[in-house]
Amino acid sequence: MIEFKQVSYNHPGGTNALDNINLKIKKNSITAIVGNNGAGKTTLVKHINGLLKPSEGEVTIENNSTKKSSVAELSRNVGMVFQNANHQLFADTVKNEILFGLKNFGFDQDYIDERYELMTDLFNLRKYEEISPLKLSGGEKKKVCLASVLAWNPEILILDEPTVGQDELQKNILFEFINTLHSNNKTIIIISHDIEFLWRLQPNIITMSDGRIIEINHPEKIFTDKELMNKVGLIPPQIIKIFNGLGIEKDIPINLEDACKRIQGLMEE
Amino acid sequence: MYFIANGFIYRKSNSIIHKLDPRVKLLISIQLFTLALLVSNLYNLAIIFIAISIFSLLGKITKRLLRTMIFATGFSALILIINYFAGYSLVYSIQIALRFIAIVCSTSLFFLVTSPDELEYVLRWFRLPRDLVFAFVTSVRFVPVILMDTLQIIDAQKSRGLELEKGNPIIRIKKFIPILVPLIINEVIRSGELAEAMESRGYGISKNPTSLYSLQLIKQDLIVMFITSISFISIIFFGY
Amino acid sequence: MSKEEIIKFNDFSFKYSSSKTNILENINLSIESNEITVLAGPTGCGKSTLLRSIVGLIPNMYDGEYSGEVIVDGIRIKDAEIKEIAERVGFVFQNPENQIFMFSVERDIAFGLENLGIEQEIIKERIKKIMETLNITHLAEKAPHELSDGQKQRTALAGVLAMEPKILILDEPTSLLDPKTASEFMELMNKLCRENGISIIIVEHRLDLVLKYADRLIILSNGKIVSNDKPENVFNYKKLIIPELGIPFSTKIYRELAKAHVEFSKPVTCADDMINEVRKKS
Repeated sequence: MIEFKQVSYNHPGGTNALDNINLKIKKNSITAIVGNNGAGKTTLVKHINGLLKPSEGEVTIENNSTKKSSVAELSRNVGMVFQNANHQLFADTVKNEILFGLKNFGFDQDYIDERYELMTDLFNLRKYEEISPLKLSGGEKKKVCLASVLAWNPEILILDEPTVGQDELQKNILFEFINTLHSNNKTIIIISHDIEFLWRLQPNIITMSDGRIIEINHPEKIFTDKELMNKVGLIPPQIIKIFNGLGIEKDIPINLEDACKRIQGLMEE
Repeated sequence: MYFIANGFIYRKSNSIIHKLDPRVKLLISIQLFTLALLVSNLYNLAIIFIAISIFSLLGKITKRLLRTMIFATGFSALILIINYFAGYSLVYSIQIALRFIAIVCSTSLFFLVTSPDELEYVLRWFRLPRDLVFAFVTSVRFVPVILMDTLQIIDAQKSRGLELEKGNPIIRIKKFIPILVPLIINEVIRSGELAEAMESRGYGISKNPTSLYSLQLIKQDLIVMFITSISFISIIFFGY
Repeated sequence: MSKEEIIKFNDFSFKYSSSKTNILENINLSIESNEITVLAGPTGCGKSTLLRSIVGLIPNMYDGEYSGEVIVDGIRIKDAEIKEIAERVGFVFQNPENQIFMFSVERDIAFGLENLGIEQEIIKERIKKIMETLNITHLAEKAPHELSDGQKQRTALAGVLAMEPKILILDEPTSLLDPKTASEFMELMNKLCRENGISIIIVEHRLDLVLKYADRLIILSNGKIVSNDKPENVFNYKKLIIPELGIPFSTKIYRELAKAHVEFSKPVTCADDMINEVRKKS
């Protein structure tokens, strides 16, 4: 479990970035953090792998405070994939890009080989092995970033805006992928504006505004709360707009099949 | 670094000094600088420091100018020691050290009260080629942006187990590759996008581009210029 | 407002000198004035190239094999002076950060006008007017790093609009904004088109956000135009849609149900349409 206990964080300039955050994220859960730009979402997740340490309060992972550990120590358990792939790709080949983390953490060669093979198969990257990651398209670059982090098999995975710039097919792959990780007992935290994607994924949702947590709840509760949505800079997914417009506030269908059945039912009434 | 940089970074303010024409600010700064280079006795140095104090008080920048001073004092202490051990008298060594502080402060004074915007107008007023002025403008404009990029890249690589602090000097230098490569690539992409945006907004179309504002000296500027120039000339002629 | 043909592509193909194949292949396209045209398609389909060809960055900044012609508001882009193009077409890029050059909002808005050599008094008037239209008058003296993402995007837009173009081209202008700010930005686009008579061409992935306002939807795939029609016609259930395209959820429901012979009065492209369809039936 990841736990934030009365965490506040002040930027070096003096501005308050996080204000009294209390939060528990359970093991093997999928959690989404939403909120407008500048609400403190990225600042919050940086506390989990120790890139930032709280000015006040404490962050613990499995009851160990992050204060005592370095980023490298924490990152073995916490993998973080940043929004902009160009901020991390640097190696001469896709292979070396994926091996970078594995080597930094000093795993033995057998384990490195095994994980590398697994990643290239999982992400279908065999054909790019010897190609520079910088030559790939945006979608493929994101895949390499993800593979290079998952390579060392962290227990917690943090994804910052993973769907930005991704087309429908790539989003589908990402969706399947998150579910696979979840069924392999991983904890997943995702920062996203992509409400349609989040509706499909049905994670626990943390809403943030001005460095504070406003509400933690399941998607239907959050997305049907017009005032809250407005406050955190979101607009509800279309499915909720449709059903709310038809006077239905609860048990809104999640997948396309159910939605079609319900709409058809309503049309035939 | 942050501490030192703060002694040169402009912040908005409405003080009398900030409102002066940037050319007047430059003139004052040059006058103080010149005096600091030329004067040789402690009395004149005292006058320079009093002048600097007056300007920084009027400009409400005393706190940040003090930072510059602290930074300069470190260096000047070194200068003092070197001079003293090289066989110069103590008084002379102190003078040299104080002159160094005065020079740094007079430069810092200008940058603290002059916005990059005003600086651009001054450069244009000197009739420097437009490309050169624009290159200056964009490089200053993008300093904070590139800094943010750098911090994000460092975060991304640290999250992948990169430990910049560990290892011998050669290993440490090698560890900067994962930071430098993305940084260079990002800035190359950025400069491409900048070029497209400049082109589509007609940069370089007209041989005589106009300007939103033009520099104009007003009464206050003339008064300040008069007072400082009189003082400057009298110190030069009668001061030593 | 009367409509006229404002952009025309005739048998246009382009190949970058760095690539092996044509990025755009035999494009024939005509876009009408006073409309909002949405351009969509998977990454690498040639959207950005199409936009660059309209604003003259192709062939002026990019080398390659250019064939056919692009005519914008009566001028042939290939032979046009940069000035002629800049006065007609404005281009807002994806990342506003990289199109704000100056140290304050008003100075940045002035940038294009200064380049055109327009008199100081006129520049001041135009800045005042455009800042009012975009609701950013209070930001006049702010430096770029003091602005929020949405404000940066508006500043970039103001800098382009101050040059009073007839045509405004936007390359994924909202991809970095949160949904609410993005939706406000689209409202603004709608106003600029309907009230100020500016023709708008916008590249956008998030169709659920833009279709509400679109008069025309063009879909590009592998350098070719695969659809070019009113959005409701593009999404007619009888038509195939490339799988990379993220179509709005209400459209997905409509297409599924229509295939199962549930009747709709017209293809659905937004939530409001779907609500109306259901109400009509029940």
